[in-house]
Amino acid sequence: MSAETQLAPPGAEAAPQKKSASSNALTRVAKYTAVRVFTLFITIVVGVYLTVLIANMGGFVDTIRKGEIRESVSARTMSDPVLRALPPDVRAARLEEMVRLEEERLGLNQPFMLRSFRYLANALTLNLGRAQNMTSDSGSRQVRLIILERLPATLVLFATADLILFFSSIFIALYLSRRYGSFLDKVIIALAPTSAAPGWFYGIFLIVIFAALLKVLPFGGMVGTPVPETTVGYILSLLEHMILPVTAILVSAIFISAYSWRTFFLIYSSEDYVEMAKAKGLTDRDIERRYVLRPTLPTIITSFTLLLIGLWTGAPIFETVFNWPGLGQALFKAVGLYDTPVIVGSTVIFAYLLAISVFLLDFIYALVDPRVKIGGSQGRPA
Amino acid sequence: MFQKRLMAVLSLLIVLSMVLAACTETVEVTKEVDVIQTEIVEVVETSIVEVQTTELVEVIKEVTPTPVPSTRTGAWVDQLVFVEENNAQAAVTQLQAGEIDIYAYTVSDAELYRTVQEDSNLTYINSVGSYNEFSFNPAVFTDETKLNPFSNPKIREAMNWIIDRNYMVQEIVGGLGNTKLFCLNSSFPDYALYADVARALENQYAYNPDKGNEIIAAEMEAMGATLENGVWTYSGSPIVIIIIIRTEDERMQLGDYLGTRLEAAGFTVDRQYKTRTEASPIWVQSNPTDGLWNVYTGGWITTAISRDDGSNFSFFYGPYDYPIPLHQAYTNTPEFEAAYLALRNNEFTTLEERRELFATAMTLSLQDSARVWLYDALSFSPMRSNVSVAYDLAGAIAGSRLFGYTVRFNGQEGGVMRVAQPGVLVEPWNPIAGSNWIYDMMPIRATGDVGVMPDPYTGLQWPQRIESASVVVKEGLPVGVTLDWVDLSFETEIVVPDDAWVDWDPVNQVFITAGEKYTQTMTANVKSTVVYPADLFETITWHDGSPLTAADFVYGMIIGLDIGKLDSPIYDEAQAGSVEQYLGYTKGFKIVSLDPLTIEHYTDLWFLDAELNVTTWWPTYAYGQGAWHNLTVGALADAAGELAFSADKADAAAVEWMSFISGPSLDILKTYLDQAAAETYIPYAPTLGAYITADEAAARYANLAAWYEARNNFWLGTGPFYLYQVYPVEGTLTLQRNPNYPDMADKWSVFGEPKLSVVEIDGAGQITKGAEAAFDVYVTFKDEAYPAAEIFSVSYLVFDAAGTLITQGAAELVADGQYAVKLSADVTNGMASGAYKLEVTAVSLLVAIPTFTAFEFIVP
Repeated sequence: MSAETQLAPPGAEAAPQKKSASSNALTRVAKYTAVRVFTLFITIVVGVYLTVLIANMGGFVDTIRKGEIRESVSARTMSDPVLRALPPDVRAARLEEMVRLEEERLGLNQPFMLRSFRYLANALTLNLGRAQNMTSDSGSRQVRLIILERLPATLVLFATADLILFFSSIFIALYLSRRYGSFLDKVIIALAPTSAAPGWFYGIFLIVIFAALLKVLPFGGMVGTPVPETTVGYILSLLEHMILPVTAILVSAIFISAYSWRTFFLIYSSEDYVEMAKAKGLTDRDIERRYVLRPTLPTIITSFTLLLIGLWTGAPIFETVFNWPGLGQALFKAVGLYDTPVIVGSTVIFAYLLAISVFLLDFIYALVDPRVKIGGSQGRPA
Repeated sequence: MFQKRLMAVLSLLIVLSMVLAACTETVEVTKEVDVIQTEIVEVVETSIVEVQTTELVEVIKEVTPTPVPSTRTGAWVDQLVFVEENNAQAAVTQLQAGEIDIYAYTVSDAELYRTVQEDSNLTYINSVGSYNEFSFNPAVFTDETKLNPFSNPKIREAMNWIIDRNYMVQEIVGGLGNTKLFCLNSSFPDYALYADVARALENQYAYNPDKGNEIIAAEMEAMGATLENGVWTYSGSPIVIIIIIRTEDERMQLGDYLGTRLEAAGFTVDRQYKTRTEASPIWVQSNPTDGLWNVYTGGWITTAISRDDGSNFSFFYGPYDYPIPLHQAYTNTPEFEAAYLALRNNEFTTLEERRELFATAMTLSLQDSARVWLYDALSFSPMRSNVSVAYDLAGAIAGSRLFGYTVRFNGQEGGVMRVAQPGVLVEPWNPIAGSNWIYDMMPIRATGDVGVMPDPYTGLQWPQRIESASVVVKEGLPVGVTLDWVDLSFETEIVVPDDAWVDWDPVNQVFITAGEKYTQTMTANVKSTVVYPADLFETITWHDGSPLTAADFVYGMIIGLDIGKLDSPIYDEAQAGSVEQYLGYTKGFKIVSLDPLTIEHYTDLWFLDAELNVTTWWPTYAYGQGAWHNLTVGALADAAGELAFSADKADAAAVEWMSFISGPSLDILKTYLDQAAAETYIPYAPTLGAYITADEAAARYANLAAWYEARNNFWLGTGPFYLYQVYPVEGTLTLQRNPNYPDMADKWSVFGEPKLSVVEIDGAGQITKGAEAAFDVYVTFKDEAYPAAEIFSVSYLVFDAAGTLITQGAAELVADGQYAVKLSADVTNGMASGAYKLEVTAVSLLVAIPTFTAFEFIVP
């Protein structure tokens, strides 16, 4: 106890106690925040360094690269008539020089461990740097641009599809939870297993039916070719090209999603306080909003947040099937090329986004759910 | 109850719909056939109606219209739209649906090939370029308990007999290939030149597993191995053959096949399936004596017709040209080494001498067999049947220099041609050191033009922008000429004039002349002189409207050297090596006249064909065409350290790799364009000041600024198309027909398709021993006689039933397309009773691929 508290008059106890409680809460939150930030940071460091190690196969990629360089440089002799016509010693020296330059360009003249820590340091400071082999669509070597150029395409497709999916699932789920056992409920349950197949699987069928057979929708790509020169034309073409992929995503996920949410809502709908509300004669709308949605809000927010973060990674196979120029394709290409800066760059951004989201969610939970208390063990939902 | 039934029906419907969707291809084909039939019926009906209701004369007029020559210049189509599609199956489906017109990629999927062949709406072109082999590890392993059978050349040679190449071609790649025994491409000129040697050896090494197994058994025993219960053992353990099998393509089946054959021969086989990246550290980098592998399924590719494969033997069998541990383990017989080194170093003075060296190398390469060749793969590129294009025998459509000039819809002028490729806009475009991806080079070539046009079927060259050329070669070098546009002569000594430019002074920005550089009179092996048309500078304009001038040529001479000079502001270490190499063999160049533009070039680098020794200095760079003014803008940005022409320099300086067409480069280039325009900047003024006036410079920069304003790129060419739209993220670009292109659209229509000859042999099935026997040989193309002037040779070989060569010679010319093979009485008298095979080889001057035909007869 501090001296100030000891000297305080009895009548003035309430205020310092309040202040003390507030101060304690602040300290608790600050301490919690610091610990949480620290642990999340350590998680990011470990995650990113593991990514660096895995992307480079613990340094074995250097061996692969050196082999590939030598192989491709030597093979140039076969296709370059001038190189072929050179005197042998000149040609050999030239080949060796080309090998040296390429190895230096890729940094293979430095030990991998040294480079691995540099990758880590750059990643943590969000200095995404330059790609080794890849270029962005517009020709830049900056990892930042490689990612940013593809981000809008991924966002426009997956955000559209996922938002439609998310809200329509919740809407349908609420509807079904009110009509448990109805015919439509059974139909949705029956169709739920169809979600075992991924979106690209349905995408192939949709392409075959609507593009190849009926010829009413495009096979893939983001816009028609030649690209419409007006903005309106461009948007219309974009929308036309989004119909099949968005449909594929919806078909692949909406039934299981609606089924899951519906089950989730049903659990909450059978709580005693909901029965009480029904008995009190509240309307369905009020019951849903106050007694079902409110307690499920943390879960819905978590799900929604993770969905938004998930957009970051794109979907390699899905984008390949629809020839959609998104992040997934770019990252898939980066993995194939062992382009460590791009892989690490993408991973570190994802890691930061995830960490920030997890961090913020803790606070959001506390805001939306009175049972949750930051930094305390009391009041946490079981 | 009703609901449950309904649910059951619904579930069934889902399953059915999925099954039906999986079968859609069949449905689709049926539908296509229906459409075709409908179209045919409509045509027939229309014809009947016309005949019945219209006067006969009019009908005849309609049916046989007088052909009107096209007056169209430049490209046949109005637009070329490039889109990305990296799945061949999907591309074919899109072709069938009419979504795209050409899939400009070389596909080697046999099933897809059949699909295309069976669809009347589609057609295709065939090309060669990739070829497969088995690489054997020839080292004796450090571990003495492990015996490497392939350290014995006789066992390697025996591999040729135990593998059935025809089986591989027919069963593994569905007929998409030609069997091969040599490191020569069977569709390239050197194979055609020595086809008689090749055919004899091909008969000798024909599939004969018994013979192969006998040799293996004898040699294995000699090496100390024992056969126990049908399994070869050494030091008490089975001999394990490790095959590194590549998994990405048909090499997986090839490796499996070899494994089966080796198991049949008594070996224990360890099949290790690996991708390129997994296999590379083992076969490229490991020490062969470590014994990590015995066989590797190798694959190679060439994208252009090679007219001189003389160095291939050294490359594939010798330790000198391929700096990897495997090749350091290669040891050759002195005779083989002497032959391949002589071929590699061009140490021969006559073509006959070269022929003998080839015959020796071909024979001894089979005895060495460090690599056993399997087949030259045939690929196909599918397209709509209403499309035609001149393609390259090795580079297919994507690698065809003539693509932009010849692609068209049959019988139609104009239209939008949609071309799909596995990649579009892969790397930055700049003419000096930009993207060299084939997917980028295809549209890049369509925007540019050339001084001489590569022949897509022979690898020779034809004049495009130049008027004429002469080549003087030092006496003793076996250079020949095939086409009549080159004037070839020989001199005992070719002296480089003192005033010829030979090097570049980057500080003073002037050329160094031969007189300044050399202390004594310099000579060269080759002198090439090209003369451009007198109206060149009036007829040719860059896409931004600037007329072509001599400065564009001189700029090319300068920047090609300047970029490799340490004191230059645009110095690039990555380019320095090639500049040094270039200066090593280039002895000088000289602009003899500006009207007409005439340029002499002196060099020690020489090729067997005079056509390939012509140096035009046309302003087309390695990665595209460039005018002095757009390259100057790039050079200013490079010199300022804001952009770099090459990827290497860009990485080293951590700046952007220069792109003339998109990305962050554009803003930087625009800044330097404005700067150049404001200063009326003349690059390399001490030299180019003589070729560029201030007014011209101002006009050029203004043109480029207007071009950038309109097209948002700095890409300039003089070709039949210009770059119209670039959408990097969407993965598409559009080229628009250049209305100012001067040449007629049909200028290169002669290359509509390769003139592959058809050879037929006619004669008696039974000849009389001791009497002269004669056979008629007919060489045709599309049932028309193949003109003798277009035939290089027609030769014949006679084999007995065992495949032994009995006699050979040249067929006698009787008339165009008709030849005679005569076996003298002495020859027939020496032939024992039995069956014989007469094989005729026709080699055309117009196509590198020789034609073979066999005829069997008996001697009673």
